[in-house]
Amino acid sequence: MSLGRPVIVRRMLLLSIPLLVVLLAAVYLGMSIGSTGVDLRAVARSLAGGLSDDPTLGTIIWQIRFPRALLAALIGATLSLGGLVFQAILRNPLAEPYILGISGGAAIGAISGILLGLSRFPGVSLTSFAGSMATLLVLMLIAGTRSMVQNNRLLLSGVMVNAFCGAVIMFLISITQDSRLHNIIFWMMGDLSLADMHQVTILGITVLPCFLFIFYLAHAMNVLLLGQEMAQSMGFDVRIIVSLLLVVTSLMVSATVSHCGLVGFVGLVIPHLFRLLLGADHRLLVPACLLGGGAYMVLCDILARTLPSHGEMPAGVVTALIGAPLFIYLLKRTER
Amino acid sequence: MRKYSPAGHIFLLSLCLSWLLWPALLGARQVVDQLGRRMQIADHPERVIALAPSITEIIFSLHQEHRLVGVTLFSDYPPAARKLPKVGSYVQLDIEKIVSLKPDLCIGIRDGNPIALVRRLESLGIPVYAVNPTDLERVMETVDEIGSLLDSQEQAQRLTAAMHARVQAVKARIAASRSRPRVFFQIGISPIVSAGTHTFINELIQLSGGVNIAAGPVNYPRYTEEEVIRLKPDIIIITSMARGVRFESVKARWLRWKSIPAVRNGRIHLVDSNLVDRPSPRLVDGLEAMARIIHPELFGNPP
Repeated sequence: MSLGRPVIVRRMLLLSIPLLVVLLAAVYLGMSIGSTGVDLRAVARSLAGGLSDDPTLGTIIWQIRFPRALLAALIGATLSLGGLVFQAILRNPLAEPYILGISGGAAIGAISGILLGLSRFPGVSLTSFAGSMATLLVLMLIAGTRSMVQNNRLLLSGVMVNAFCGAVIMFLISITQDSRLHNIIFWMMGDLSLADMHQVTILGITVLPCFLFIFYLAHAMNVLLLGQEMAQSMGFDVRIIVSLLLVVTSLMVSATVSHCGLVGFVGLVIPHLFRLLLGADHRLLVPACLLGGGAYMVLCDILARTLPSHGEMPAGVVTALIGAPLFIYLLKRTER
Repeated sequence: MRKYSPAGHIFLLSLCLSWLLWPALLGARQVVDQLGRRMQIADHPERVIALAPSITEIIFSLHQEHRLVGVTLFSDYPPAARKLPKVGSYVQLDIEKIVSLKPDLCIGIRDGNPIALVRRLESLGIPVYAVNPTDLERVMETVDEIGSLLDSQEQAQRLTAAMHARVQAVKARIAASRSRPRVFFQIGISPIVSAGTHTFINELIQLSGGVNIAAGPVNYPRYTEEEVIRLKPDIIIITSMARGVRFESVKARWLRWKSIPAVRNGRIHLVDSNLVDRPSPRLVDGLEAMARIIHPELFGNPP
């Protein structure tokens, strides 16, 4: 907070440019690596405008791998930023984008959609989005705007809503007795295998304005961390800021989850990672989470679809397998 | 408004006509699959991917395996199918792998391949012909249809005629007996799962002269031991579907309940799940195996 404007802008650029390069490199790798091989040079030629000699490889690079890499980047960015915001407004280091029951509501919506026999897109996406929005509404009614500032009440209500949703999900799964069970389980593990440009465009249009809005409120999040009275005395209306952040973040997380299912763990580890590395200034943390979270997710997705010799594993598995040890290592190092 | 000259009309007309005729000129044809979806496929598909093990079996049984460029995991029959490139499992298809194999036709199955994956393939310009065999009769129709897709109508007709004859032979022998033992067919171990009315298993039990005690609207109903004991099945048939669980250990669980007629009379049998749940020509092998189990007095003892 003591840093002046020009200094912070310079630090933002110094941070964002390398991270953007990392993200672009990750997307490039995502376009180069797939279940049928590694085509680093072919992608370069294709970007330069060549590659008319092999239309199949062109299709694989541009219509299968490229949308998938973009989708992974959007998901990683959204979930990391969602975790960051929830950790700030709930002032709880264990907060993650799913903590307020959005995931549970979305899952109930998606499972209902699958059981009703709706198509994956847009049918299941819509029921899932409706489910998470309904949970958010219920949560806001329970917690009320007053207790939104008393963080523990909001947090506890969210945990309870999530637990209730968890029970409903297990009930629905236990009564499902046919091949739709597969669809449900793939959805719950997070599944990016159906990515196409149409989906990327829709998700992009939804989440990019949310990113800008949260970035705009980055300074306000810094002030929130000083405590309610301090923030009030500095002229910030805590209740409005918290409500706005809560709704916008829930909206973008719901949109992501409804497209790709419950991709896990990115939202917890990435914000903490950058907080360890960069400190508590959200003006730096927001761009870092967006670019770094995006790149991390793209890289994890590459591993998720190439590590098993057949088929794929959920990207959430890789994010946790790499993220948790990495985080513990950094935590130990900063302790010394 | 602009007026078209007669020459313009003729031009437009010929454009329309050529649009209608171009498939024939390009060696393509219009087909309607078993879900009623119309599509354009090659006249003589040369690069075919079978999106389920049953379809692999059908293509091999028509001796058209030279056209197969890819199959799914678990396509284990005939053994030669194991050597073909794998395109993921039938519920989790590897789209990139499929595209890289440059198929001119994929044959998929409604009960298995997720529709979202099928649509994704079609959006990439790969035609997916979907089959939906729901009973033995429809399996034979499916064999005939795949035969006509792959220029092998005669082989298909010979094959289905043989299947038909074998089914009729079983039916004829069963008609001679009036006994209809009550069968409990177990496909899941924990929980215990059986097969309802709308399954191949139910059809095979009926054709083999048995009564499926799990018949009902739920396709794969769950049971407790208590319920099975109460239902007193005359015969218990266990499939090899639950991998890693040995038949002997499942059988031992039932042997604890002497009040079940099947246990008292030693009529607990094992059947290869691939013979009874894959809509392929081997379903008839499954029928004969079941008939031997349910009516050994007519067909000779089961092996």
